[in-house]
Amino acid sequence: MSKPVLVIGGGIAGIQAALDLAEQGVEVYLVDKNPSIGGRMAQLDKTFPTLDCASCILTPKMASVLRYKNIKLLMCSEVQEVKGSAGNFTCKILKNPTYVDWDKCTGCGTCSDKCPQKVPDEFNLNLTTRKAIYIMFPQAVPRKAVIDAMHCLRLNPPPDLKEKAKGRPLCGVCERICPAKAIDFTQIPKVIELNVAAIIVTTGIELYDPRKIPEYGYGKFQNVYTHLEFERLVSATGPTNGHIIRRSDNKTPKKIAWIQCVGSRDVRFNHYCSTFCCMAATKQAILAKEHIPDVETTIFYMDIRAFGKGFHEFYKRAMDEFGVKYVRGKVVKINEDPKTKNLILTYEDTSVSYVKKDVFDMVVLSVAIRPNRVVPPLPLELDDDGFIKLKDPFLDPVSTTVDGIFVAGVAAGAKDIPDSVSEASAAAMRAALIAKGIEVPLMTAISFRGGKP
Amino acid sequence: MALIVIPRSRFSDEIIKLGGTGLIKCYQCGSCTATCPMSEEYNISFRKTIKYIQLGLQDEVLTDLTPWLCYYCGECSESCPRQADPGEVMMATRRYLITKYDFTGLSRLMYLKRFGWLVAVFLLGGIAFLISWLLKGPIVLERTELGTFAPVDIVDTAGIAVFIILASILLVNIYRMFRFTVGSLKGIPLTKAFIEFVKIVPLHFLTQLRLAKCSFRRYWYIHLMIFYGYALAFILFVPLLRLTLSNKPFLLVDPLSIAGILSTILLIIGAAFMIKGRLERKTQVWKYSHHTDWMFITLLFLVTITGLLTGVFRTLNYPLPTYITFILHIVLVTPFLVLEVPFAKWSHLAYRPFALYFYRLNQLKEGTQLSSKR
Repeated sequence: MSKPVLVIGGGIAGIQAALDLAEQGVEVYLVDKNPSIGGRMAQLDKTFPTLDCASCILTPKMASVLRYKNIKLLMCSEVQEVKGSAGNFTCKILKNPTYVDWDKCTGCGTCSDKCPQKVPDEFNLNLTTRKAIYIMFPQAVPRKAVIDAMHCLRLNPPPDLKEKAKGRPLCGVCERICPAKAIDFTQIPKVIELNVAAIIVTTGIELYDPRKIPEYGYGKFQNVYTHLEFERLVSATGPTNGHIIRRSDNKTPKKIAWIQCVGSRDVRFNHYCSTFCCMAATKQAILAKEHIPDVETTIFYMDIRAFGKGFHEFYKRAMDEFGVKYVRGKVVKINEDPKTKNLILTYEDTSVSYVKKDVFDMVVLSVAIRPNRVVPPLPLELDDDGFIKLKDPFLDPVSTTVDGIFVAGVAAGAKDIPDSVSEASAAAMRAALIAKGIEVPLMTAISFRGGKP
Repeated sequence: MALIVIPRSRFSDEIIKLGGTGLIKCYQCGSCTATCPMSEEYNISFRKTIKYIQLGLQDEVLTDLTPWLCYYCGECSESCPRQADPGEVMMATRRYLITKYDFTGLSRLMYLKRFGWLVAVFLLGGIAFLISWLLKGPIVLERTELGTFAPVDIVDTAGIAVFIILASILLVNIYRMFRFTVGSLKGIPLTKAFIEFVKIVPLHFLTQLRLAKCSFRRYWYIHLMIFYGYALAFILFVPLLRLTLSNKPFLLVDPLSIAGILSTILLIIGAAFMIKGRLERKTQVWKYSHHTDWMFITLLFLVTITGLLTGVFRTLNYPLPTYITFILHIVLVTPFLVLEVPFAKWSHLAYRPFALYFYRLNQLKEGTQLSSKR
């Protein structure tokens, strides 16, 4: 009889770890603060270097999570406290109310169609709006609605409306319209206590805030995007249904620039390399070419780190087949033409050694990644950059400094999807060994000659 | 020509020793070039110069004018993603170039040996003291007779002699700079070269206009203060020495005295700002001080102070203090001029306008126009 394992974070690494554990008959609690699993990969359009559709390879995995009876999904939940040691951890998990009874909810989406309250959509990086009651994204797993209490008229009414209502409950459209009668405004936060044998941390990353680099004018200039925003822009499920159009005038850009190492490999911000941006920018430039055949794409880089299998070929292909232009040099400043909202980039073209100024319709910043905060509640050690410290980065790359707690994916350092997935499988194997309490008898000594050693 | 690449050569180590410690951090992104206010007008790449140094390409650096087109406003060092301090690397390269333009080798000694300059200062000060003691006139204690104590003829001759010697050395050094960076005037009509000289060198010598491009304006004002204070002092005490060094009582209404006071004020305020900045280390340009920087500014400050005291004592009619401060002034001013003008930091006053001129000559040779038209 095995004990359960807790997986924190429902991104691709968390999903893979949960699936691998479940396959081995281990009970898994998969915790995610969002209403759906999928994580960052769900926000991506295509993957490098094969240009596979990210959703098409991720969604089947997400769906299969639901098929395993021994995977228990704890959505909208956060780990509050972890105590104990390997084989016996006690975890307190805060389950935030969704205000929708998920046992009844069928995910039909009628509620969000009728909800009057529009809210910036975090999944689409605020490029569009969603409703106060919403399903996180079309392929969400589990496909259930949640109410954003902060913005719901009933749960958090604006003061002026509250006064007018004189104590009567406001709105409640979703409650009336829901065919399954699943809306429940009375839900309250719950704390669940779990006893698990091992923990796998796959908490992932957030983007470094490019507003901290004022030279690039992100947030000030409308046509400056982050690479994740661009990913939503080209995605068919994105805010523009896959059309690359500018924020300022909805026009199709004719010249797009990617700026690499924004906030990474820069000792003023983060000194480490985010590892995937070279390939991601290459991929995005190719996608741009596929969406807008006559677009001019330029990638400003210092070094192209095409180190993985097929990466260099992909980079070559971008150059030769798609005509993506690579310019070696750091853009030091972006200025905006106030009339056209075009962007003027200043940089030294290091191949000719002089300063150039170039106008682009759209600029995509390959922004650095930052690890999500995990300490506290987890009793882990972090390295200098805030990523989870590994016990032995060479021979034990999934073990943290605490026995029984494993890490996989970008929480331990920047990496791409395939590496995150393989780490997740490795971590699942380690966790399973503890969960099942398997002890294999070992030979005490080996003699090669048949005699006593 | 085949290039011989020697990473971490003695040459690049020398640049590091001269203050360019950030050199090895540079990953060649070109931020420094792109942020530089000078790169709008001049076709220069600091990144390339840094690469030359990293690769140990000594000859490439020696023939490069780029370091002189950096006026060290510090914007590059702020935008450098590696905190390699490109501004300071350029400063170090200028120090290196000064040692290379100088044919005597004295400059090299002062820049690379921490106490080399101290020895030189004491040696020259001692010689100045001995000579001025041996050649001094009678000491009149009843009233201040500086003209008697320091015979005008001797001081004047000595002053002009020192000026000619120093100017010749400096001219030789400038010629060497020309040989390194331009090579020859082949391909440029002499009249054209002369017109460009008249257009560029006096203007930039007198106004130091390129410094005004730096966002840190105070730096330019301080430079102008020191330059004009220095120029005034030079006019007063070299061509007009016979008028300024006399037994006449010192009158405040005398235009010469007013000029003297003005010069002193400009120099003291300028030097004080420089010293304050270098002590505070808040602004990029003053963050790192090589010992030659301190040598220049402290000597300048002390020379001015002793000059001021001599004037004050002379006006107040204190004979003995006047003579003592005067001797002290000579003891300080000799090493200051002899070492600084042709061999050390002062020489950038000459190298800078000439660098702009030589840059123009190179452009004429290549037949290109100012890159600002780009």
